[in-house]
Amino acid sequence: MRVSTRGSYLQGLSMMQQLQSSLDYTQRQISSGRRILTPSDDPIASSRALEMREAISRLTQFDRNAGIATNRLSQEESALNSVNNVLQRVRELALQANNATQSNETRQLIGVELRQQLDQLVQLANQKDGNGSYLFSGNQTDTQPVSRSAAGFSYNGDQGQRQVQIGEGQQVADGDSGAAVFFAIADGNGSFSVTAGSSNTGTGVITASSLVDPTAWVPDQYTVRFIDSDNYEVLDSSAAVITTGTFQSGGSIAFNGIEFSLNGVPQGGDEFDLAPSRNQDVFTTVTQIIAAVEMGVSGEQMQAAQSNGINQGLQNLDHAIGNILDIRTQVGSRLSAIENQLDSNGGFALSYQETLASIEDLDYAEAISRLSMETTTLEAAQQSFIRTQSLSLFNYF
Amino acid sequence: MAGILNTSLTGMLAFQRALDVTSHNIANANTPGYSRQVAEFTARPGSGSGVGYIGSGTQIASIERMYDAMQTEQLRTTTTGYARFNTLNNLASRIDVLLADPDTGLNTGLQSFFNTVQDLANDPSSIPTRQAVIGEAQSLASRFQSLDESLDALEAEVNDRIELSVADINRLASSIADVNEKISLANGTGNAPNDLLDERDALVLQLSAQVSVSTTLQDDGTMSVFIGSGQSLVLGGEARQLGTGGTEFDMTRMTVTYQSAAGSTPLDTTSTGGNLGGLLDYRSSILDPTRQSLGQTAIAFANSINEQHAAGMDLRGNLGGDLFSVDDPDVLPSSNNSGSGTATASVSDLGALTGVDYVLEFDGSAYSLRRTDNNMTVALSGTGTPADPLTADGLSIVVGGSPAAGDRQLIRSAHDAAGSIRSVITDPQAIAMAAPTRVSAALANTGGAAVAATSVMDATEPQLLDTAVIEFTSATTFTVNGSGSFTYTDGAPIVVNGSSFTLSGVPATGDQFMIEPNFGASGDNANGLLVAELQSVGILEGGSISINENYGRLVSGVGSTTHQIQSGLEAQAVVLKNAEDAVLSTSAVNLDEEAANLIKYQQAYQAVAQVVSVASTLFDSLLNATRR
Repeated sequence: MRVSTRGSYLQGLSMMQQLQSSLDYTQRQISSGRRILTPSDDPIASSRALEMREAISRLTQFDRNAGIATNRLSQEESALNSVNNVLQRVRELALQANNATQSNETRQLIGVELRQQLDQLVQLANQKDGNGSYLFSGNQTDTQPVSRSAAGFSYNGDQGQRQVQIGEGQQVADGDSGAAVFFAIADGNGSFSVTAGSSNTGTGVITASSLVDPTAWVPDQYTVRFIDSDNYEVLDSSAAVITTGTFQSGGSIAFNGIEFSLNGVPQGGDEFDLAPSRNQDVFTTVTQIIAAVEMGVSGEQMQAAQSNGINQGLQNLDHAIGNILDIRTQVGSRLSAIENQLDSNGGFALSYQETLASIEDLDYAEAISRLSMETTTLEAAQQSFIRTQSLSLFNYF
Repeated sequence: MAGILNTSLTGMLAFQRALDVTSHNIANANTPGYSRQVAEFTARPGSGSGVGYIGSGTQIASIERMYDAMQTEQLRTTTTGYARFNTLNNLASRIDVLLADPDTGLNTGLQSFFNTVQDLANDPSSIPTRQAVIGEAQSLASRFQSLDESLDALEAEVNDRIELSVADINRLASSIADVNEKISLANGTGNAPNDLLDERDALVLQLSAQVSVSTTLQDDGTMSVFIGSGQSLVLGGEARQLGTGGTEFDMTRMTVTYQSAAGSTPLDTTSTGGNLGGLLDYRSSILDPTRQSLGQTAIAFANSINEQHAAGMDLRGNLGGDLFSVDDPDVLPSSNNSGSGTATASVSDLGALTGVDYVLEFDGSAYSLRRTDNNMTVALSGTGTPADPLTADGLSIVVGGSPAAGDRQLIRSAHDAAGSIRSVITDPQAIAMAAPTRVSAALANTGGAAVAATSVMDATEPQLLDTAVIEFTSATTFTVNGSGSFTYTDGAPIVVNGSSFTLSGVPATGDQFMIEPNFGASGDNANGLLVAELQSVGILEGGSISINENYGRLVSGVGSTTHQIQSGLEAQAVVLKNAEDAVLSTSAVNLDEEAANLIKYQQAYQAVAQVVSVASTLFDSLLNATRR
């Protein structure tokens, strides 16, 4: 082919420019450490990189959320632990007071300590977290959850439970409302409660009660009335007698799928009221125990009333303790769910980071060998340009 | 002997001319577009003598221009193709970098906004975190705006470049016409005006970089130049002009017109090519869709956030107001309209929103809507009154006034949305993180039913904030506020006044659940979580594409278009180089060749000069012989 002087000059020049351009690209890759400099270098990979970045950023946020939830749940757990300690102490004191060896005076002393424990319980329920928000008021974080009045204890918060996002589609509650922790506690044995009538003259003390056959149980208000020490009748809420029976001290009374046993000797006219379980807050339970402990006792019949009072209080207290335990278990399982989620988030983040690196990061070994190859080629092109351009017939004129 | 002298004289003259041509070639060795010239020698005819014909020397028959019409044509075509890709590449790579850059792109802004919302969901009552959300909202809005401004600036630049390109085309057309006239004059002398031909080819080559051209040579040596789909730009010594102007809808959007004796008509831009074609293609296939997609993202973001925010309750106990504002679609009436029809458009369905431009046309009795990107007609429903607007593709259009038949309006559904987005919330207390209502179980309930999940079905329900007491009259029936009797199915949601909740467990007779306004719930984040979730929830295209995905698609779409353009540019560069090489190979000067010619003609000249000296010696011999 015929080569023109201008053509060969332009050819050499454009080759060198091309080489310089790819050298510049390699150099920019090396100095930035990135394989992809603009999305058009590799559109598919760069859109993947965008997705990876978004996913990593979300995971980082989830980890932060999880940290906050862990913090809150740990605070809750330690508060629940303190509540449990108080309730256990109340239980010990109640058992102690229920002992026949105690006198009215020693019971008064126990009553004083019980009152202190009650105050502490209220304080614990009204505890604030590090941000100054009440721990147990649901979503009403600016409202003191538990207040005490002459009428008793009331809950001023709501039943809201805040969820925190700790993973893709994974939310965890970062607390429990005071309603769930302190107020929504079934009294009695959880199905029904038995209360001794306040004007009982006998010494009948309720020792145990249970739901034997749930299918036969018809929730209603029942009254077990003793006709005399050995015979009783059971009345429903409309005062109709539904069954009658005979009783021996230490024996049990059963009807409609339920059963409870009495110690001591009831007198004719004594009544035991049976009602489906209702929610009773733990503060009222403790208050009831205090009232039973502090009642002045004289005579067997009052002793029985006190025992019934304390026993009933203890039964309710056990439910409260069980409830706290349940919630602590839930808190524990939430904490371990967070732990698992953090592990899984970390695993995902790592694999996203690796994918991102494999998409975006430069293979330095390859880039540097490319750089040195391109440099060599450019040098060669420059030298050959000088050589060929200096060849001219005119040199020999 | 006189014959010898004359013959040598023709040789000397011819070689002198040939040396002239050679030196002209050497002088133009680096002139772009120069075609080397070659002196063609022919022997002069001889005169008869007794012994036969004796030649009478040499002459230059012509000075030929070394040139291949096919190669030149090829060079023009490839120059047109290369120029188009070059323009596309220049402009497209700027959007490419703009969208993906972490400092200017949307991704980081969207991520920080949603992350801050998550932070606030962790601590909804914190005023500093609420301030941070407002700050992120503002900076996200300004990211949208600055991206839109950059695209707006590119649009203005395209307009400027179109005007410059048209001015260039007009100038080149006039120059070609001038040269045509000179060539036509020179042709009269019978010899080809080689350098004028080169000049004209160079001008046509420059023209072909601006726009695709086709040429035909006329008998008088002039060249006719046609552009586009066959409109004549140069005929002989006459040049037509192109003009620029706005569209019927938008005076600022530059289009190209063809000025002929019949007046000015829009230039058919389907086969424009070159720099001008690249500009028009860039605007219609990259810039417009980018702006529309960005606007679509802005509308989807603002509207979906506002909608969710309105379904929440703020710290003051009010339902959430707007967090962002974004303008309704633009409606631009045609300047050709003769009636007084008006139209206003709003976005009514994000799932169906396309973001593209539409033309709304009135045919005298009914309206029709046509997409401008693919010219497909879109079915309209509704009558166009405020109560029953025309709806199509997620738009609601209310028409008014009295339009004349043929009147048209351009509806740009998302073109300016990204530039109009604003963060409108300034009061940190007004961020609605809480659910508007709460459901609580009465503590005196004896049944085993607990509230499992609550949600707001309809935040626009006027009675949303009314307190309602749901009381079970049996395990399967309930009353609301003491009246009615509704059937409860285990696990099915109970919906009252726009709020909904489900129960787990079996309720007992007399159990009560209360729905009440969620006042004072400073720790509630239920609505905040739903706002944060919008980051990954499908909103566009029937709920399949999230805000982030839509932006990601824009980035990768522009990226792959730019990538294609770059590949195309590289291919065109190779093709162009081959065409240039071919032309250079045929037409350009080789200095070694010219040096050889120089030596050749010099030696030939010296030889003929020697013949003169021989003739002179012969004369002398003759004279000496006769002196005696």
